Amino acid sequence: MPWIPKGEMTVRQKVCGVLPALIILLATVSLWAHHSPSAIFDMSKRITMAGTLTKIDWVNPHIVVHIDGKAEDGKAKSWVFESNPPAWFRRVGVGRADFAKSIGQAVKVEGVGAKDGSLYGYLQKITFADGNSLELTDASDTPR
Amino acid sequence: MNRFFYTMVAALLLPALAGAQKPVAAHPDLSGLWLFSIGLPSTALKKEVNGKVEINRIDASGRRAVRSDVPGALPSAPGPSYKPEFQAKVKHLSDNESKLDPVFYCDRPGIPRIGSPRRIIQFSNEVVFLYEDISGDPYRVIPTDGRPHRKDGNPSYYGDSVGHWEGDTLVVESTNFVEETWFGEEGYFHSDAMRVTERLWRVGENLAYQATVDDPKVLTAPWTMPVRVVKPSNEPLEESPRCIETDGPKLLNNDHHGQR
Repeated sequence: MPWIPKGEMTVRQKVCGVLPALIILLATVSLWAHHSPSAIFDMSKRITMAGTLTKIDWVNPHIVVHIDGKAEDGKAKSWVFESNPPAWFRRVGVGRADFAKSIGQAVKVEGVGAKDGSLYGYLQKITFADGNSLELTDASDTPR
Repeated sequence: MNRFFYTMVAALLLPALAGAQKPVAAHPDLSGLWLFSIGLPSTALKKEVNGKVEINRIDASGRRAVRSDVPGALPSAPGPSYKPEFQAKVKHLSDNESKLDPVFYCDRPGIPRIGSPRRIIQFSNEVVFLYEDISGDPYRVIPTDGRPHRKDGNPSYYGDSVGHWEGDTLVVESTNFVEETWFGEEGYFHSDAMRVTERLWRVGENLAYQATVDDPKVLTAPWTMPVRVVKPSNEPLEESPRCIETDGPKLLNNDHHGQR
């Protein structure tokens, strides 16, 4: 079922210390940062949030996605998520326009958060207002 | 008289014309677009559009060592052999790669780390290599007319290259590098004495690429990397977006990553 944006946008940051090992494993293998992911991101700090896509930076070494959300305390919070490099997105058939068409619209984002506690994450899934989504997944079964 | 004249002219010209149609010392044509060979995430993309799910994977074969025999390949080793006094330094760089690897800060990978060219344009007297990289899109213009290395060039990331043909293999020799690059993810530093020899040849429709790194100041012997076989590509070159590194301050440990 496609995700349908709600009228009230809230940031729900779910910090789960005890996640099933499988999820952590999947997050680890599907996350790429050119620095060691574990040096920047807490792989157990899963983030699910809804907000407005405000900006997309199509830059190396990671694309950068800017999300404005509203925290449960009512305060606005601007999150920044990096993700895979543009050259990777290009080779899996995704361009800047696939994100940019949703600027100003409600999106839902899943990822992992930075260890330093800043409003920074690694984007693993984005669901657009029309219900379509892009998700980084494990490719370990890629034929060699 | 006239007939004799024209007969003589024809007799003199025909062999020359016939010769002109057969290029002397023809070399295989390596020109064309080739699959990318920079390191990219192995992740797949799951794309859902109007309820339809597709999984898109990248073809990273251009950066992988070929395990089976490739005709023309030189014997290779998994890694270089550093002199004993430099082994601690290599280990330190490798152990702290996330913080210390220059390419993680948008610096240029140099050769041979950048891999095989994305596009080759081959002329009779020079070969042009074009690349796409996260740090930018370098080019190399490599003379193959027998001239020696330049003597007045400044050190650079991609060095000063000259090429020649050994049978059907294009051999490119490069010198005069800056010392900033690593020639591999594992902290493979080098000195200003580094020499890189790249070999490129055709294996069927594919391009074989193999590089040898020699640096008598830090290595005990030249290191020949495992051969790679790169597929032809239809994907046109595209300017790489500018590189802006923002992760540096967020690095909370020095984990080795080993990917690019």
